[in-house]
Amino acid sequence: MGRTVLLLWSLGPMLWQLYSSLRPTQALTGVGSGWTLDHYRQLLSAEPPFGHYLVNTALVGSSSTLLTLALAIPCAYGLSRLGQRPARQISLVVAAAAAFPAVLLFLALLEVARDWQLANNLLALSLPYAGLCLPLAVLLLRAAFREIPLELEEAALIDGLNLWQRLRWVLLPLIAPALASTALLVFIFCWNEYPIALTWLSRQELLTLAPAIARIAGSSVYTIPYGAFAAATVLGGAPMILLLLLFQRQIISGLTQGAIKG
Amino acid sequence: MSQPSTTSTGKLRLTQVSRRIGAQLLLDQLSLEVEPGEILALLGPSGCGKSTTLRLIAGLDPLSGGAVWLGERNLTPLPPGERRVGMVFQSYALYPHLSVERNLSLGLELRGQNQASIQGELQRVLSLLELEGLRQRRPAELSGGQRQRVALARALLRQPDLFLLDEPMSNLDARLREDLRPELRQLLRSAGVPVIVVTHDQQEAMGLADRIAVLQEGRLQQLDTAEQLYSRPANRFVARFIGTPSINLFSRDGQEIGLRPEHLELARPDAPQAEGWRGLDGQISHQEWLGDRVVVHLTTPGGTTLRVLRPRPAPEGPWQVRWSSDAELHFDPRTGVRIH
Repeated sequence: MGRTVLLLWSLGPMLWQLYSSLRPTQALTGVGSGWTLDHYRQLLSAEPPFGHYLVNTALVGSSSTLLTLALAIPCAYGLSRLGQRPARQISLVVAAAAAFPAVLLFLALLEVARDWQLANNLLALSLPYAGLCLPLAVLLLRAAFREIPLELEEAALIDGLNLWQRLRWVLLPLIAPALASTALLVFIFCWNEYPIALTWLSRQELLTLAPAIARIAGSSVYTIPYGAFAAATVLGGAPMILLLLLFQRQIISGLTQGAIKG
Repeated sequence: MSQPSTTSTGKLRLTQVSRRIGAQLLLDQLSLEVEPGEILALLGPSGCGKSTTLRLIAGLDPLSGGAVWLGERNLTPLPPGERRVGMVFQSYALYPHLSVERNLSLGLELRGQNQASIQGELQRVLSLLELEGLRQRRPAELSGGQRQRVALARALLRQPDLFLLDEPMSNLDARLREDLRPELRQLLRSAGVPVIVVTHDQQEAMGLADRIAVLQEGRLQQLDTAEQLYSRPANRFVARFIGTPSINLFSRDGQEIGLRPEHLELARPDAPQAEGWRGLDGQISHQEWLGDRVVVHLTTPGGTTLRVLRPRPAPEGPWQVRWSSDAELHFDPRTGVRIH
């Protein structure tokens, strides 16, 4: 019973969107009945077609994820090998950064975009995204690195492996679950991110998912295109849901890594 | 003693090696030498500096003073990967994500050694340690004894000039440990290089090593054969550390007397006493079975407790503990150094 309520509670909005996306506009606003794929057809044949936004978002998400990992791995490794006290102090600062409300950074980010001409550049969007995700990524990966017994790295040292080889062949394979879950968290963040994308991107063909959907919703002054909006939500959400279903085991094991031994 | 088979790489020499962290002195001017083909055990309680010594030789920690030499080579400034040491860690430290085969070959592969020669070496070491059937297994799929053999194989594969083993048997159960000891000893000696084994277990040290260095609080107490450590300990600490059940110590005439439990005998107080023998009256407090022998604990009127090792438990009644004065060890009560 409790489970059913919980399921309805969390799945309800999604199901409602799916339902709305398949109903004719008249049925949504009042009278009318039946099912239709019109909303989807309309989205996919628009200029640019909706798939374009998905590609944009995937591009930003991938580059941001790569950038975040590239920066977070050395950071986390360093922190995990630092002495107890300095590591704890630095980690505290990192945790504070992770907890900082990103909305407060908007105006500053907007100025950065203007001064350095980063607006309307998809890859440039990776900079604020990686910046915002970095603290959490560092904390997650540090916990994973700390799980690895020091003797393992010393064995590699005696085997004659240099720092890069130790990372590539011994340490990173061992923290693969944490890497996967960190990457996914960053990717999801980028997928859903709205305010920065809204202010940094203005050209229609460069929009990422969130501002693109918002434009659909606000495309007419007189009516709200519920159907198209719902269809866009479904199309935008589906890849994420698929990704999470595929990787849910890694995500959970990655997130709980470091939970047993602190 | 059998001679080492392969060519010697030179002896290991530590000259006044020290290790300090802040104000804490972990190792105080340790000097020792190990010949090729010789096995030296570093023995002592935890925190005595034995593992520290091993890590300094391997290059895992920096020295605060002194030098480490291997033959004509000064190892001191070299990073661990260039010292040509084979090390077996206490946890074995096998790479958990790699097969047995890859665990062994990873180091050589990344150094760019050619595949053919790696495969040849791999074959030799795997058959030597009877690991051929386990090539493709991951460490998690191996038993404790198998893991230990893989760790040994990894150290052997590099044809090291020096072998370092950190508590190599401590993760095995007691039975397996005893079975493996002669095998391990044979294997280590046949490598023909200096070998250092760190252990806290005197049985293991005596069973494996040719000579034993007893350490305490970062200082070398005595470096000698097992027999000498037992019969002629340099000081009170060594006397107490070597031998089970441990030595009896009590004061007499301003000196500290040490007597091994196996050198004590029990006699009735009215029995005649042989020439050159001494005796102390005692009351049995309790008896402890060791399986094949019994430790009888007695209390003297002066309040001293004595342990006597006997083949059988002693019946009730008044007893006198007797010993030949030849068996007495005398220690300076202040410094603990053995005088006689």
